[in-house]
Amino acid sequence: MRTIKVTVCLLLLGAITSSCWNLKEPNQLAMVIGGGLDINQDGRLEVSSQIAIPAGFSSQETGPGKKRSYAVVSATGKDFMDAGQNLQAQLSRTLFYAHRQTILIGERMAEQGLADQGIGKYLDMIVRNPKSEIKSVIWIVKDGMAKDILKTEPLFDPLISTALSGVQLSLGIKPYYYREFLSDYLPHGGALLMPAVSIQPSGGKFNYSGAAILNKEKSLKLIGYLKPEESYYANWIKGRQRMVTVTAANDQINGSISLRVKPSRHIRVTKDSKGLRVHIVLHGTGTVVENNSPLNPATAKDLKTVQSSLSQEAGQEVSKLIQKAQQQYKADIFGIGELVHRKYPGDWKKLQDHWNDTFSTLPITSEVQLKYEDPGQTNSSM
Amino acid sequence: MVGPHLGDNEQTLKSIFEHCSDIVFRRLSLRGDDKLLLVYVDGMIDKELVQSSMLKPLLYHGVPQGLGVLDSLAQMCEQELVAALVAKKVTAFEECTELILRGQIAFLAEGEASILLADVSQFETRSIEEPSNEAALRGSRESFTEQIRTNTTMLRRIIVTPDLKMESFHVGKLTKTEVILAYIEGLPSPTLLDEVRTRVKAIDIQGVLESGYIEEYIEDTGYSPFPQIMSTERADVVSAGLMEGKISLLVNGTPNVLVVPMTFWDGLQAPDDYYERFMYVTMNRWIRYLFALFSLLFPSIYIALTTFHPEMVPPKLMLNITGLREQSPFPTVIEVFMMEFMFEGLREAGIRLPQQIGPLVSIVGALVIGQAAVEAGIISAPIVIVVSAAGISSFVIPRYRFGYPMRMLRFPLLVMSGLFGLFGLALGLILILSHLIQLNPMGTPYLEPLAPTKKNKLRNVLWRRPRKRMS
Repeated sequence: MRTIKVTVCLLLLGAITSSCWNLKEPNQLAMVIGGGLDINQDGRLEVSSQIAIPAGFSSQETGPGKKRSYAVVSATGKDFMDAGQNLQAQLSRTLFYAHRQTILIGERMAEQGLADQGIGKYLDMIVRNPKSEIKSVIWIVKDGMAKDILKTEPLFDPLISTALSGVQLSLGIKPYYYREFLSDYLPHGGALLMPAVSIQPSGGKFNYSGAAILNKEKSLKLIGYLKPEESYYANWIKGRQRMVTVTAANDQINGSISLRVKPSRHIRVTKDSKGLRVHIVLHGTGTVVENNSPLNPATAKDLKTVQSSLSQEAGQEVSKLIQKAQQQYKADIFGIGELVHRKYPGDWKKLQDHWNDTFSTLPITSEVQLKYEDPGQTNSSM
Repeated sequence: MVGPHLGDNEQTLKSIFEHCSDIVFRRLSLRGDDKLLLVYVDGMIDKELVQSSMLKPLLYHGVPQGLGVLDSLAQMCEQELVAALVAKKVTAFEECTELILRGQIAFLAEGEASILLADVSQFETRSIEEPSNEAALRGSRESFTEQIRTNTTMLRRIIVTPDLKMESFHVGKLTKTEVILAYIEGLPSPTLLDEVRTRVKAIDIQGVLESGYIEEYIEDTGYSPFPQIMSTERADVVSAGLMEGKISLLVNGTPNVLVVPMTFWDGLQAPDDYYERFMYVTMNRWIRYLFALFSLLFPSIYIALTTFHPEMVPPKLMLNITGLREQSPFPTVIEVFMMEFMFEGLREAGIRLPQQIGPLVSIVGALVIGQAAVEAGIISAPIVIVVSAAGISSFVIPRYRFGYPMRMLRFPLLVMSGLFGLFGLALGLILILSHLIQLNPMGTPYLEPLAPTKKNKLRNVLWRRPRKRMS
């Protein structure tokens, strides 16, 4: 009994006096809320961090007296953590990466990489560092630097970094987290489709600007962008879209009709004597949300017209998009390679290193089947 | 031994009761030269009864006539013929003194070598009131009183069977407190019954003022923060226990009745759990379980998460907490300790304060601890929330004394989590759990039916089953 008491006392004393513990008061931490990777004018890696200033969060003041709720600091370095070390030199509190919500990659960084290696090289830290959050959303900055996006002030949230995942959600896209990036990036072949953001020309505000295409076969270099409208269809094919509004405006319906649908997709990969063959079917069921045509979507006669013209118009967009991917970018942005991998694992071994070449000549057919179950709250057009 | 001479006996009694100003010696001379001495404690007998049904007949009509012809007082004493329900003839002074002190009246007659004692005791007692510490929305409003006879009658009124046994013991050299062991014959296991009986008999103590004395003597593990014997002031709770085959110990002079054996889950059950609809009760039970856990763990979890593992707190919450902590001069652990001490102080003050200035505590407490300390920048606002939430939730536990271990063990857990974070907290919890599993009061595992698992009984712990399906 006595020895137990003495041991316990010694252990406690040892723990207290050696101060060998992990205790860090929250106000000893500089919480990194967003991180940015850029290449600066000199061609060096520049890491920017958006750091929350907690006093700005809790103060009740509004107006000019209100403290800023964040600061953006940048530093260059040989790699991520080296730059982090240099960042630390500007701060009185320890950098804390575990609450990072967003990773932004500047356009030049994405285009060039460093020393002819793509951004893949620098992203190791995000998974390797145990103090790093892999549930951050990752974005490519179109026409700009990550640093500048970090400095913009969003409308609702105090911080741009927490706002960006909300942007995707409100557009009906599943947020693209770093872990998804990782699982897309690790398999061989094809290309990545990452969300892109840009600064509005008027300045100060950000804008969702479609998707960036990064070629996995060329060390993850940026090869182009999809427009926002195209990105919805691309995400639909990839199964990342939760809600989408399809609008048809043509002579057949003599006006315009919008349908808000819950998308689903079905991709069939087959193999015959001529090689692989892909058929993409996009389904969508939803509600008519706007009708500026003389048609009455509640009647059986017009239902067919509306559905077919909507499907037709969306179908044209989809085939245009597929054509663009095959001919302009020559990159598999839809993740069809992964489906081939699953269905024909034997063939994939030969195909994986040059999958994009195979993809660009692949016969891909597509169709869109849109339906609505609810013609909306009124019958005829206003 | 009592002799035949009244004068001698009186002398002996007077020397026993020397300097006892409340003992009354009343000499009477009846017709026929009979000499009679009454001895009683002033204020403990029913004077009305003694005057009207004992003294008056004796003085006016002489010796009462019984079945046969009585000539003298001595014969009256011989036949125990007084107008009282309980009468007894004793020959030893020790027994006589004790009974006098318990409120009986002693009749000593000339020429009689024994003393007749009649139970006419009556003294001021508190009436039956509502239970003050175990409130329930539904169910009997009667609570036990200090008078053991009142308490036993309350049980008798509920359980009407001769199988309800009440064994009486006297404990304490000075107080000779009556302790009654109540049980329903055939329900508790004989070994348990024997065990309790022997433990009560073995108590060697000067005085018993409260059932807590008995509790400490008969409990298995004194060095435990957890109560292992249930104490209640509600007759319905004791009756329920008796019907479940438990044994209860009533102690004279206290309204708190002990029920053995007790398990951990008994501490979290409210009296009206079995009176109200089973669905509400199940919900309430879970609220209680969660809040009990919450009151034990919340401050330590807060410390561990914010100072050791800030990555586990949702980012926006972490930012808010950090923002509110910007100006705090003390480390989080110290802050929580300070506030916990203040809270416990307020709680204790709330019990001890005279009723007239009771509201003062709440006002001053709320102002000092809540607002002023935060505004002055001594304490950060989240700590106030954490400590008061944990404090209040410990009062969700229906048995007040079962909240004590939760509040007390909070402090070691605070130290552990302040030193080692979640790791320390886990370590502390493991220690507490292994202690609980080791407890085995009166041969019943403390955590039963959870550990060891008894599926059938466990259902009654997880949710209160509908009465028709209760086994």
